[in-house]
Amino acid sequence: MSWVLTPDRRKVLYGFAAAVALFIIGEIVKPGFASVTGIQEVLQIASFVGLVAAGQTFVILVGGIDLSVPWVLNAAAILLVSVAQGGNGRALPAVLLALALGAAVGTVNGIGIAVLGVPAVVMTLGMNGIVQGLALGATHGLTCRGCVTPAPTALQDAVNGHVLGIDASLLVWLAVILLVTFALSFTTFGRRVYAVGNSERASYLAGVNVRLVTVALYALSGLFAALAGIALTGFGGSATLGMGDPYLFQSIAAVVIGGTYILGGRGHYVGTVAGAIVLTALISILLAKNAPDYARDIVYGVVILVILLFYGRQAEETA
Amino acid sequence: VPPSTSARRHLVAHHTPLLVAVALLVAMLVLYIVMFAASIGAMPSGYEAASVTDNAVPLSLAAVGQTIVVLTRGLDLSVGGMMDISNSLAATKMHASVGSEILWTALILAIGAAGGLVNGLLVAFGRLQPILVTLGTLSVFQGIALYALPTPGGHVPSGYTGIFLNPGVPSALLWVVGLGLAWAAFRRTRLGVSLYAVGNSEAAARAHSVDVRRTKVLAYVLSGVLAAAAGIALATTTTGGDAVGGDVFTLSSIAAVVIGGVSLFGGRGSGVGAICGAFVLTLLVNVLFFANIDPLFQPFYQGLFLVLAVGASTLLGRMLRRRA
Repeated sequence: MSWVLTPDRRKVLYGFAAAVALFIIGEIVKPGFASVTGIQEVLQIASFVGLVAAGQTFVILVGGIDLSVPWVLNAAAILLVSVAQGGNGRALPAVLLALALGAAVGTVNGIGIAVLGVPAVVMTLGMNGIVQGLALGATHGLTCRGCVTPAPTALQDAVNGHVLGIDASLLVWLAVILLVTFALSFTTFGRRVYAVGNSERASYLAGVNVRLVTVALYALSGLFAALAGIALTGFGGSATLGMGDPYLFQSIAAVVIGGTYILGGRGHYVGTVAGAIVLTALISILLAKNAPDYARDIVYGVVILVILLFYGRQAEETA
Repeated sequence: VPPSTSARRHLVAHHTPLLVAVALLVAMLVLYIVMFAASIGAMPSGYEAASVTDNAVPLSLAAVGQTIVVLTRGLDLSVGGMMDISNSLAATKMHASVGSEILWTALILAIGAAGGLVNGLLVAFGRLQPILVTLGTLSVFQGIALYALPTPGGHVPSGYTGIFLNPGVPSALLWVVGLGLAWAAFRRTRLGVSLYAVGNSEAAARAHSVDVRRTKVLAYVLSGVLAAAAGIALATTTTGGDAVGGDVFTLSSIAAVVIGGVSLFGGRGSGVGAICGAFVLTLLVNVLFFANIDPLFQPFYQGLFLVLAVGASTLLGRMLRRRA
């Protein structure tokens, strides 16, 4: 592997440069924003976007998209607190069950898309509704006795705790970053992801099991959404209705700001990490400035568009 | 010369999505009438027809706009945001005078065109992916709507509401039929044909001297205008304004378009199909109601229906093409 600064790698660098610039702006706007604690606060919030966006990166790399993220995240959180019932004894099985739920929903998504040929937008949009209806119906709109119990204290401590002065949730994200980067860059699986993203037909002819790869990626996306739900539940202390809603568009935006090509085949999770930090730092600055809701929405949209205009443009088509 | 068997099969395969959409609509209508009769003990009257139509009008308008963009192999996620803006403005700015009503209707539609123009220019000349452009403008439009109407409120003059809907009389059906006829005329215009050409192959369209960029820009402008109209219709059916009331229409317009047989890969589909899709989704809500389904489970059945309907028509299309 050569370490040339390819256009794709340059995009990742731009992403991190934008993040650094935002921290400098933040420090000017609100002193202390770029202090060690300030940065850790932003990174901790970014980690939730980053976890969801890990799965989103996988499916976008093969030209897909996962719109079921909001309610997979939310359902995993609800399942977690309902099973754990606030007790630490059942925290571990509850966490594993929540992860299994995410992976299962993702697998169904993948089968619908890769085997039945349903467009990804439709399959995952429908699945979002299916999971939402099941979660709302089964918990009577989150009013049942078990589902309003707080998250197990062990989980809350684990997410909000510190190891060597670093937030535990950041260490989880760091582990995910290393794992996903390794999988994408140094394994056959990673090679197959890029192969399928560039040309399904060529990959198939080269002996790649395209369907299996696709199903696995959607399963991973569900798994990461569930993981984010678990982390958020530990962070906030409980499961709430609609807690997954902001993460749909944010995860897609993080992937794209990170330089991944929305039609697949090019990009990397390292870029997505930069994208998640940029988005979260931007929101934090707007919050620090006490900007009204409407101004936050407008600035957020304009900044995404400006960043994309800088480097998200496609090559000029030859007439 | 009579068409050969294979050409006829191609014709059938080509129109299958629209036929499936119409069949779905008929089936859903029958199901609705049966469920209604079973639970109320009477046939649905003009009142029910009016209520279903009124509820389907905003989605029909948004879905036709979405169709135009999807035909060019694009996607407009900003539909919900534009509906938020027009919904908020219609409920707060319009006064009960003919002059004010005409002025603000025109202004709101012009704002829709302007928003669509921004989308179109960024897609066609900024060379950005449609899904990303409209994701960004969605946020901007939502912000503008919140600025116009920070908390839900306002109301639409009752005289204005009467233009669109009247309790007991499905007068809104006229608008729907008008929309369908307008589509039939539009798809035969130069721009209408260009949309299909661009969606099927940009290179081929360019070779036939279709102005690809102009076509794309106009597609987003039309989608913006129709979304603005949908927001006005939403304000009249709810007789009030809500700056987040249009948000759900981003995804439901995509669902309506897909159920209506419009291909997300561009170049195939019809606005009439999208209108059918909008009515199918609206009827489904009523069917679930009469089936005594817990409203909390409603998204489950809607999602299941979307996946099953599209999955079945995907398989059907694949089988027909294989035989053709």
